[in-house]
Amino acid sequence: MKLKLFIISLVSILTFTALSPISKSTSYKCMIQLINYEGEGAYIVVSLLDPEGNYVKTLNVIGDDKEWYHDLTNWWSYFENSSESIDAITGATISGGQRTIKVIKIEDDKLNKGYKIRFETAVEDQKYVADDVTFELTSESVKSKVDGTGYIRYIRMLPQN
Amino acid sequence: MTISIWRYSHLALAISSSIFILLASLTGIILAFEPISNRVQKQTISNLDEISVAEITTTLRENYSEIISVEIDKNDWVTASVIDDDGNNQIFYIDPLTGKNIGTPTETHPIFQFATSLHRSLFLKSIGRFFVGLTSFLLFLISITGIFLIFKKQGGFRGFFKPIVKEKFNPYYHTLFGKWLLIPIVIITISGVYLSLEQFSIISKTKIVHQEDTLFAEEPVLPLSEFDIFNNTKLSDVRKIEFPFAEFPDSYFLLQLKDKELLINQFNGNIVSEVNYPFTAIISYYSLIFHTGQASIIWSIVLLFACIGILFFMYSGFSIALQRRKSRIKNRYKKDDCEYVILIGSENGNTFYFANALHSELIRLGKKSYLAELNSYSSYKNMQHLVVMTATYGAGEAPTNAKKFKALLQTHQQGKPFDYSVVGFGSLAYPDFCKYAYDVDELLEAHPNSNKIDDVFTINNQSLESFNQWLLKWKEKENLEIRLPEAILSKKKRKTYTFEVIKNTKANKQSDNTFLIQLKVTLGKVRFKSGDLLSITSDKDQRERLYSIGKWDRNTILISVKLHDRGYVSNKLNDLTVGDKLTCGIVKNKDFRLPKKAKNAVFIATGTGIGPYLGMMHENNKKAVLQLYWGGRTKASFELYKKEVATYINNGNLQSLHLALSQEQEEKVYVQHLLERDSEHIAKILKNKGVIMICGSVVMQKDVTDTLNEICKKHLNKPLSYYQNKGTVLMDCY
Repeated sequence: MKLKLFIISLVSILTFTALSPISKSTSYKCMIQLINYEGEGAYIVVSLLDPEGNYVKTLNVIGDDKEWYHDLTNWWSYFENSSESIDAITGATISGGQRTIKVIKIEDDKLNKGYKIRFETAVEDQKYVADDVTFELTSESVKSKVDGTGYIRYIRMLPQN
Repeated sequence: MTISIWRYSHLALAISSSIFILLASLTGIILAFEPISNRVQKQTISNLDEISVAEITTTLRENYSEIISVEIDKNDWVTASVIDDDGNNQIFYIDPLTGKNIGTPTETHPIFQFATSLHRSLFLKSIGRFFVGLTSFLLFLISITGIFLIFKKQGGFRGFFKPIVKEKFNPYYHTLFGKWLLIPIVIITISGVYLSLEQFSIISKTKIVHQEDTLFAEEPVLPLSEFDIFNNTKLSDVRKIEFPFAEFPDSYFLLQLKDKELLINQFNGNIVSEVNYPFTAIISYYSLIFHTGQASIIWSIVLLFACIGILFFMYSGFSIALQRRKSRIKNRYKKDDCEYVILIGSENGNTFYFANALHSELIRLGKKSYLAELNSYSSYKNMQHLVVMTATYGAGEAPTNAKKFKALLQTHQQGKPFDYSVVGFGSLAYPDFCKYAYDVDELLEAHPNSNKIDDVFTINNQSLESFNQWLLKWKEKENLEIRLPEAILSKKKRKTYTFEVIKNTKANKQSDNTFLIQLKVTLGKVRFKSGDLLSITSDKDQRERLYSIGKWDRNTILISVKLHDRGYVSNKLNDLTVGDKLTCGIVKNKDFRLPKKAKNAVFIATGTGIGPYLGMMHENNKKAVLQLYWGGRTKASFELYKKEVATYINNGNLQSLHLALSQEQEEKVYVQHLLERDSEHIAKILKNKGVIMICGSVVMQKDVTDTLNEICKKHLNKPLSYYQNKGTVLMDCY
C-alpha cells in the first residue's frame, strides 16, 4: 500500500514539474559590427549577468578554437567551472571591419529586472576588453543600437516576434 | 672539399630547416586529402555558374521566414543561415535551386584539425607560426638554389630543359623530380610565406570601409527578381550574401563577390556602395586556394605529389651529402715530405673512393703519400710521382674542386722533376667523356719538370676492373708491389651457385682464342636473363671477373670468353671439360636486358660481345625483328658462332646479319662503318621506339656511340643521349 502511494505521489510530482510553467523566452537577432582594427579575428562572448554582475549564462560565442578562450579572462573564470555546453551557440570568428548576425535567446523574465547583457572581446596578441558593450536588459534596450568601446563598433538587437 | 656557394647554401638551408620541413610535408600529405575528400561530398554544387543571385534570394525568401546569410565556400558548398519558426538559428547546406536543406555541416575530421594545427603553428601558437613561415621561406630559397644547381649541372639556362644524363639513383631522381616539382613547390612556399606574413600583420589584412549610415530610398519597392545586380551576378562569383538585418531603410544586402563588395538597397536593388577588394586581398584569396588545394582536385593531387616529393628530396639529398662526406682527406705526412702526391678532381666525391684506396695502399707499403684536391695544388718539395685522378663536370668542365688548378699550376713551381700519370673518371654516356682529364694532361705536359709516364687512362662508370688495369700498368712503371686495395676488394659477398659444364668449345681450336662454355645449374633455382652477368671470383687474387650471360634455358647459361695468355680465370675456364663443376655468382644487370615490349632491336657487338645476344636470339619466341651487327677480324673469327646464328636466320629469330671483318680486305671495315652505311635504317628504328644494344670493348663503344650520335643528330635532330635517357640505347662494355 505504501509503495502504491509512493508511486502515485512520485508520478504526480513529476507531472507537476513537467507542466510547471517554464519562463518563456524570446529570440533576438543581434548584429555585431567590428571596428577596422589590424590583426587576427576577434573572440567575442555574449553573456547574461545578474543585477549583481555575476555570470548567469553564456548566450553566444564567436570564435571556435578553444585554445584561445582563456584570453577572455572574466568569462573564462566563470565558464571553466561551469557545466554549460556551448557547442550549439559557437560560431567562426570575424576580423576587423566585418560584421556578423547571431540569434540569441533571452528569457522574458530577465527583462526590466536589472539583468545585463555583456559583450567581451579579445584578439590574439592584443588587449582584452572586458566590457566592450554592456547594458541593462529592458524592453527598450533590446531593440536598440549600442556603440562599443573596444573592438566592437556597435551592436544592434531586434526581437523576433 | 671545396664546394660551390649554391650547393653549400642548398645543403645548409636544408639542414637548418629539415625538421620543420619534414613535419610540414608529412602533415601536408594528410591535408592534401582534405580538399579531395571535400570535393566528392554530396553538397558540392557543380552548376553555380548557371544560377543567379536573384534566383537564390527569391527561392530562399519563399522557403524561410528569416534569412541571415548565404555563403559559398571554396568547396562550392552553399550554406544558409536562417531563423526557424521557433526562433532558433539553423545553419545547413542547401541546394541553391530548390533552397532545400541537404545536410548539416559537420566538424572537420579530427585528423585534419590536428594536421592543420601542426602544419600551421606546430601547436606553438605565434612562435610556431613564425617558424613555419620562416621554414616556408627557407624552402623557397632551397628551390631557388636548386635551380642554379640544375643550371650548373646541365650547362646553362637552356640545359634546364634538356634531359638529365642518367647517373646514380639519388642524384638522378633528385634532379629529375626537382625539375618537375619546381613550380608547385615555389607556389606552395610563396603562398605559404604570404599567408604567414599576413598573420603577422606585415601585410595588412584587407579592411573594407563602406559609406554607411545614410538613409536609403524606400521607394519604389521592387521584387528581388527584378534587381539588376542580382540578375547579372552568378553564384560562381559570390562568396557571401548577407540579408538585410531588418526592414529598416538603413539595412541593406551585403554582397561579397570574389573581387569586390557591394551594398545593395533592400527595396529597389540600387547599388549603394561598391568597393573593390585591394590587390592584397586578391593575392590573399589565391594564396589560400593555391596553398590548400581547395577549389580543384587536380591541384590538390599536384600538392600531394609535391609533399611526397619533398620527403624524397630530403632522403636523397641527405644521402648525397653523406656520400660526399665520405670523401674527406686524411694525411699522415706533410706535403713537402712526400714523394707520392695524389691530386683529386671530383664533383660528387666518388673519385675520392679510388684515390683514398691508392693513398692508403701506398702508405701500407711504407711510402710517403700525400692526398689533396686539385684546388689546393701547391709546391711539393719532395714530389717524384704525381697521380691526378679527376672527373669531368657538365660539358667538359673542371669539377668544382679543380676549378683553380690551371691558375695554381702557374703559380707554384716544382723544384724536382717528377713522373706523372692522369686517370680520368667519367661515364661514356656523357658526350665529353673524361674531357677534363685530357685537359689536365695537356697542362701537366707543358710543365717544365714533368715526365709523362703514360697516356690518360679513362675509367667508365667507376669500373673496378678498369681501375685495376690502370693500377697494374702503373705499378709496373713505378716498380711497386701494389695490390688492389682491400677496401675495394671486399665490397660484398655474393651468393654463389654451383654450375656443371655441359659444353666447352675450347680456344685452341679457334683462331681468335675465343670459346663458348655452356653451364647448367646443378642445384636449386637461379633466376637470370640474357644480359645479366656471371661473376667468377679468382681463387688466386680474389678478384671478380664478369661475363655477360646468354640464357639458353631456365637452367643453362652460355658465355663467350676470350682467352688471355696470362689471364688466370680465362685459362681456368678454357681447361674445364664436360662434367666439371664451377662456383659462380649472378649479377643482375637490368640496364642490359632486351625490353619485353621491343618489337625492333639492333644488336651491335664485337668479338665475345655476341654472348648475351646468342641467348636473346635463342629466346626470341615473340619474333621481334632482330638485326645483328658483328665485328671481328676474319671470317674464321665468326666460325665459332656461325652455326648458331645460321639457325636463327633460318627459323626467323634473326632477321639479318651484318659482318664487319676488319682483316679480310685492304680497307679495314669496322661495325661503325656498317652503321654509317645503314644510317637511315638505324634512325628509323630509333624513331619507331626500337632498341639499340651495344656489347663489346670500350674502344668499340666509343666509335659506335660517336657514329650513332652523328646519325641521331642528322636524321632525328636529337642527340644520342636523348635515346639513352629514354632507355632505348643500352650498353654493356668492358
